[in-house]
Amino acid sequence: MSKAIVYLNQFFGQIGGEDVADHEPEIRDKKVGAAMLYDQLLDADVTHTIICGDNFVGSKEEEAIDRILGFLEDKEFDIFFAGPAFQAGRYGNACGAIGKAVKEEFDVPVISSMNEENPGVDMYKKDIYIFPGGQSAAKMKDDVTKMVEFGNKILNGEKLLPAEEEGYFIRGIRHQYFLPDETPAYERAIDMLLKKINNEEYVSELPIPELDTVKIADPIEDLSKITVALVTSGGIVPIDNPDRIQSASATRWGKYYIDDVDQLQNRRQEAFKTIHAGYDPAAADTDPNRVVPVDAMRKYEEVGKIGKLYKYFYSTVGTGTTQGEAARMGQEITEELLEDGVQAVILTST
Amino acid sequence: MKLELGNFHVEDIEFGNETTFNDGLLTIDKEEALEVVYKDEHITEADLKIVKPGDMVRLVPVKEAIEPRYREEGGPVFPGVTGDLMQAGDGRTLAMKDMSVLVVGKHWGGFQDGLIDMGGEGAKYTYFSQLKNVVLVADTDEDFEKHEQQKKNRALRWAGMRLSEYLGKALKDKEPDEVETYTLDPITKRSEEVSELPSVVMVMQPQSQMEEPGYNDLNYGWDTNNMLPTFMHPNEVLDGAMISGSFMPCSSKWSTYDMQNFPLIRRLYEEHGETINFIGVIMSNLNVAMEQKERSAQFVAQMAKSLGADAALVAEEGYGNPDADYIGCLVALEDAGVKTVGVSNEATGRDGGSQPLVSLDPKADALVSTGNVSELIKLPPMDTVIGELEALARDGLSGGWDDDEVLGSSVKKDGSIVMENNSMFCGDQIAGWSTKTMKEY
Amino acid sequence: MVKEIERAGIPVVQMANLIPVAKTVGANRMVPTISIPYPLGDPSTSEEEQWKLRYHRVGVALDALTTDIEEQTVFDVEI
Repeated sequence: MSKAIVYLNQFFGQIGGEDVADHEPEIRDKKVGAAMLYDQLLDADVTHTIICGDNFVGSKEEEAIDRILGFLEDKEFDIFFAGPAFQAGRYGNACGAIGKAVKEEFDVPVISSMNEENPGVDMYKKDIYIFPGGQSAAKMKDDVTKMVEFGNKILNGEKLLPAEEEGYFIRGIRHQYFLPDETPAYERAIDMLLKKINNEEYVSELPIPELDTVKIADPIEDLSKITVALVTSGGIVPIDNPDRIQSASATRWGKYYIDDVDQLQNRRQEAFKTIHAGYDPAAADTDPNRVVPVDAMRKYEEVGKIGKLYKYFYSTVGTGTTQGEAARMGQEITEELLEDGVQAVILTST
Repeated sequence: MKLELGNFHVEDIEFGNETTFNDGLLTIDKEEALEVVYKDEHITEADLKIVKPGDMVRLVPVKEAIEPRYREEGGPVFPGVTGDLMQAGDGRTLAMKDMSVLVVGKHWGGFQDGLIDMGGEGAKYTYFSQLKNVVLVADTDEDFEKHEQQKKNRALRWAGMRLSEYLGKALKDKEPDEVETYTLDPITKRSEEVSELPSVVMVMQPQSQMEEPGYNDLNYGWDTNNMLPTFMHPNEVLDGAMISGSFMPCSSKWSTYDMQNFPLIRRLYEEHGETINFIGVIMSNLNVAMEQKERSAQFVAQMAKSLGADAALVAEEGYGNPDADYIGCLVALEDAGVKTVGVSNEATGRDGGSQPLVSLDPKADALVSTGNVSELIKLPPMDTVIGELEALARDGLSGGWDDDEVLGSSVKKDGSIVMENNSMFCGDQIAGWSTKTMKEY
Repeated sequence: MVKEIERAGIPVVQMANLIPVAKTVGANRMVPTISIPYPLGDPSTSEEEQWKLRYHRVGVALDALTTDIEEQTVFDVEI
C-alpha cells in the first residue's frame, strides 16, 4: 500500500489558533486532525502528519524547511499533501514553500489546494499541484476530495490529462498533445481566422501571459519638500473601529487623523488597535507603531528629511481581501491622496 | 494564372523491369533509377528501398522528402533549381499522390536531419509514416562536411529531386484520377462579390538563417536569405517554386513535399469566394540579424496593408530566434490593422516549463500551436533501420545526443532510442497537417 | 493596493515580510520587515532596539522613494 504524508498548520493540526501561530515544526507518526480525512479517501496510508505554525514559516522559512526536510529524510512516502489552505495567505504560503521544498528534495508528487485569491497560488502554482479551493474550512471535504482524487490517479498510474481537465491551477507547464479528434492545424487556423475576422470569440492555443506590472513611478527629487503618507493593510484602526472595517475580506477602508500626535497610542490607552484577523494582534495592540510607524516618520519630519507627514494615515485589512476589492480601495485612497497633494507613500503590510 | 494538378493515387510500389505507372501501381526499374542518381559524381554509393505505412522500419538521418511530379507542357519541376527558370503555377502538372521520395544518408547526419518510424509507436510523430515511400539511401564524397553538424546535403538533395523528376515522367500521357484546379483572378479584376469578402493573405516565413549559400530554402533557386519579402501567387508555392533547405532543426522544417502540398494554402483556397477573398502569398523569410527581421516585418505589414488585406495567416518555419520574426511580423500586421492568426510550434523544454516562444506580445492573440520541439520521446527498437541509427546520437542531430547525464546516449545498445521531438522529420507539421496542439499540464 | 497608488504616478514603497508576495502583487519598490505580526519592532527586544530598527528601515524606505530603478527592487536593510 502506498504511503502519504500530510502537512497542516497549527489550527488544522489541532494545536490551537492565532495565539500559537509560532508553533515550531513537528512530525507525528499518526493522522492528526484533517489528516484523518485524507486517509479515509486516499488509496494510500497516511503515515505521518507534519504540523507547523503559519507565523513560524512566515518569519523563519528557511529553518522551517530545513527542519521539515530533516523529519522526512528517513521516511518512506509516495505522495505529499499540504493544506487545504482556503483563503489563508500565510497558510497558502507555507503549503507552497514547504511543498516546493519537498518536491525538489524527494521528487514525489505534491498536491495542495487554495482559494484562487490566496497569494500562495500565484507564488507556487508552478512548483506543486494546487487545486482551486473554497474560501473557508466549510469546503474542507470538497477540497480534500479533489486533491485526493487526483492523487489516486497518480498512485494508480493512470494517464494524467491536461490541467484544464484535471482541474488544478495552470502551472505554466506545456506539453504537446495529440488531439483525440485529430483536427489538423490548418482546420484550427481557418476556424480561428474566420472567427477573428467576424469578431466572434475564439481561443488561442497559446495564451500570451499577461504582464502584470505597473510602470515604475518617478523617484522623488527632494524628499524634504514633499508630503509623505502612510498606508497600511495591517488593519490598524481607532479603538472603536468607527468605519467598521471588516477583520477579513475587507471592502472598507478608513483614514485617521494623526496631525496632532508624535506616535500612535495603543489599545490600553484606548487609542489604536488592530482588527486584522490574520495575525496575532498582541504586538500591534501594544504598540501600533510597529505596524504604522508614525513615530519614526514624525522624527524624520522633525529633522527635515521629509517635508511633512500627511495628516491622515489610511488603513484597511489585507487578509482575505480580494484583488478586485483591494484594487478598488487602492483607487479610492489614491484619489484622495492626489487631491490633497500627497506625493509619496509608504505602505506597510503584515 | 491557373494550375491544374492531375493527381495519380499510388496504391503500391515495387521494383520491376521498367519504370511505369499503371492502375495505381508504380513499378521502378531500379538500375535505371540509380543511373539517374549517379549522374552526380559526388554520389559514391546509392541504393533504393521501398517502405510502406506499418512497416517496422526506422529511417535516419532523413534529409528531404519530395513529391514526384511531371509538367505536361515540359520544363523542370523545380524551375531555377533542377532546370531553367520558368513561371510555375500556370499550366498542368501531374502528381503522384500518397507517396514521396525520401532522401536518407547512408551514414552521416546533422543538426538539420531527422528520423521517421514507419510503424509502431513512433509512426504518429511524422506525416511520412502515412505515405508509401521510395527511399534513396546514399553516401557522398562531400568530406568537407562529413563531420560537420551543419550540412548542405547538396548532392543528396539534388539526387532526390532528380529521382523524383525521373519517377514523375512515368505519368506522361496518362489520365489522372482527379484534377484539382487552382485559380485566382488578378486582384483588381475580381468580381464585386468576391472583392467584398474579407481579404486574406498567407504570410510564409521560410527558414533563411545561414549567411553562407547552400543551406537556406530557395525561391526559384534564389537564396531566401537574400530576399526581401515579396508577393507570390499561391500556385507558385504549390507548383515547385519553393524548395526546402538544409538547416532547420527538423521538427520545424518544411520539406519540399510540405511546400508542394502546403495545407494552409490549400485550405485558404477552399474558402476563397465563399467566406474570404484569398489575395495571395507574401513570401517573407527568417534572417538572423535584428534589423533584417525588422525590415522583413515592415515589408510584410506594408504589403498586406497596401494589398488591402483584412487578415493574415502567418506560418513560421522555425523556433528559437525566428520566433522574434514570427511575433514581430504578427505585431507589425496587427499595428497595420490586419487581423492575424499565427501557426507555429513551441519550445517549452523537456520539463515543459520554459517560455513557449522566445518573444511574446499580447497583440499575438490568435495562435495555433502544432507541437513541442523539446518533447522527450522514447521508442523501442525497430526490426529494420535504413540509414544509420548511430547517426542520431553521434552526428549532432537537433534532437539527439551521445551523452546526457541522466538519459545517456540517444541510441541504446538494444536499438531503442530516446530523443527530443526536435528530430522527428518535419514532425511539427507547421505547414498544416499537425494533429497536435499544446496543453497545460 | 500598491499598484493603484503607483499607477497614479505616486512613488510607493511596500514594506512587507513576504517579499515574494509583494513582487507578485506588483510592488516596484520594496523594503523587508521582520515579521508579520510585528513588522517594525520585535517585542522580545528592548524598546531602544525596536526604535533603532524601525527608524532605520523607515529611513531605507524613504531613500527608496528617491531612488531611480529599472525593475522591481528590494532595498537592503542593515538593522
